[in-house]
Amino acid sequence: MKLATRELVAGYHDRVVLDRLDLDLPAGAFTVVLGPNACGKSTLLRTMARLLTPRAGAVLLDGAAIRDLPTREVARRLGVLPQSPLVPEGITVADLVGRGRQPYQRWWRQWSSEDSAAVTEAMTLADVAALADRPVDSLSGGQRQRVWIAMTLAQQTEALLLDEPTTFLDLAHQVEILDLLRRLRVERGRTVVAVLHDLNQAARYADHVVAMRDGAVVAAGPPGDILTADLVREVFGLDCVVVPCPVTGAPLVVPGPPAVAPAHPAPVLLKGQ
Amino acid sequence: MTAVPAGRSLLRLGPVTLLVRRRAQAVAVLLLILLAAAMLLSLSLGTPYVAPVDVLRALPGDGTPYDLVVRDLRLPRVVLAAVAGAAFGVAGTLVQAVSRNPLASPDVIGVTQGAGLAATVALTTGAAAALVAPAALAGGLLAAAAVLALGARHGLAAQRFVLAGVAVAVALRALIEVVMLAADPIDGLRAQVWLIGTLAGRGWQETAYIAGTLAVLLPVLLWAGWSLSNTALDDDTARGIGLRPTARRVGLATTGVLAAAMVTAQVGAVDFVALVAPQVARRLVRAERPPLLCAALVGALLLVLADLAGRRLFAPTQLPAGVLTAAIGGPYLLFLLVRGRRRPS
Repeated sequence: MKLATRELVAGYHDRVVLDRLDLDLPAGAFTVVLGPNACGKSTLLRTMARLLTPRAGAVLLDGAAIRDLPTREVARRLGVLPQSPLVPEGITVADLVGRGRQPYQRWWRQWSSEDSAAVTEAMTLADVAALADRPVDSLSGGQRQRVWIAMTLAQQTEALLLDEPTTFLDLAHQVEILDLLRRLRVERGRTVVAVLHDLNQAARYADHVVAMRDGAVVAAGPPGDILTADLVREVFGLDCVVVPCPVTGAPLVVPGPPAVAPAHPAPVLLKGQ
Repeated sequence: MTAVPAGRSLLRLGPVTLLVRRRAQAVAVLLLILLAAAMLLSLSLGTPYVAPVDVLRALPGDGTPYDLVVRDLRLPRVVLAAVAGAAFGVAGTLVQAVSRNPLASPDVIGVTQGAGLAATVALTTGAAAALVAPAALAGGLLAAAAVLALGARHGLAAQRFVLAGVAVAVALRALIEVVMLAADPIDGLRAQVWLIGTLAGRGWQETAYIAGTLAVLLPVLLWAGWSLSNTALDDDTARGIGLRPTARRVGLATTGVLAAAMVTAQVGAVDFVALVAPQVARRLVRAERPPLLCAALVGALLLVLADLAGRRLFAPTQLPAGVLTAAIGGPYLLFLLVRGRRRPS
């Protein structure tokens, strides 16, 4: 699915964050949106997912303005995982994943065999089938995030938008989530858009990178083409060296030397402990 | 055969397919049996005592010696207790879901006070008795409209809704006191009894109004029962799966307020049923949200028992049902607070 914005203006209260933003995201690709804190990347994602109503301009889903489409229809085409969703107390994994079927259900048709099949498939894909009957609030952060992703997968949408899906996870779980997203794009042909903080993970997993600063897009394109030391300096104000990753060959951003020399190799503080 | 989520089963009624918790079904059946037993008990106890067997014989009205006592004197009041209790249970469930607060009920959001103020004015200014209920209904709806209008900005967020409700409730409560103090003591006493809520001297007419309201709201209630399960999701997640959280909250709150205003107008401000019934039902069913049907049944059972206790405990002196529900509800409220659950729900 092709996602695009035209002259998009969005923000909170009196503050305009995005000012007349034009952006086209490639269909069937894994796009990562990068940028420093408060650069408007979450605002962009939330507006594209119609969680935030734009003040002007439009978000286009395959060329059609999203605000003209019924919200149920949008929910069948576009899944969204907000930044820190609230886990309802005591809800089980299967139950929460089942909520993803909402756009296909009505109060007079609360469950169907399609619902059942979609939930099973989503749980298998996100590798949470074994946790089906566990309460979500008893799971670890990584498992929980996979459950939320499974819920959006049960929606069976062509596109999936995720706002910082790895932020509160340890490295192993971050990799697990990113591998899952990559698999969705490669094996299922889904369009995936995620806001990430880690440049190297973006370079490693994304087909397309959008670098933002102060509510504007500084550069957009394949990571190999655009992720350079100049771009990192321009976007983050950080001096760095970009080298090929020894594992994947993707660009690897290594920050310049620390302002204050670190205390290794022999930390004095540890003596006598 | 369609696989269903664990602990649920499908209930097919013609074109309608409902997904219900098995435990909720079992609890509902149990509550229905208890309710029937409580109603039978209430029909049989009193002066004169009528054995349950004779109650059952008298109900069809085949000219047994107990026809008058059972059918004409006790039955209207017992049925009213059940219907009013159910309406309180429904109203409490919806208000608690919208306010995301287990301690919320129609008297927290001003409906009770609005109805109470209108009824107090009617009772102390010598208005015709027939005008008291319509006035109370109008007062309750006006107060609720004010709360909804105040709370509706920012999408009727839970906290705003409760704060607007508390503000309106406190202001109206003060006005009730003013009217009571200015009134003739006899009228003030009548208003006081109305405010506590009683089923004495009420029957089929009040039942018809409440049951009629619930019947008209039935399609909405079926939607609400389904929609309630999603009120535990945050707004972003809800929008993501194609729900409209603000419209849903306004719909649920309006439905709850209509039920609350109607039942309060008919039987007075019976305390605590609306507060307690949803929470008891939630614990019985072990759901993350109070289940609507079970809450209605708990409300019905509670009010039938409270009315029976009010009639019999200090007989021949009769206590208004509202006194008894408060006596049950007060300790329960303390219990809820002491147990101090992690998250309000």
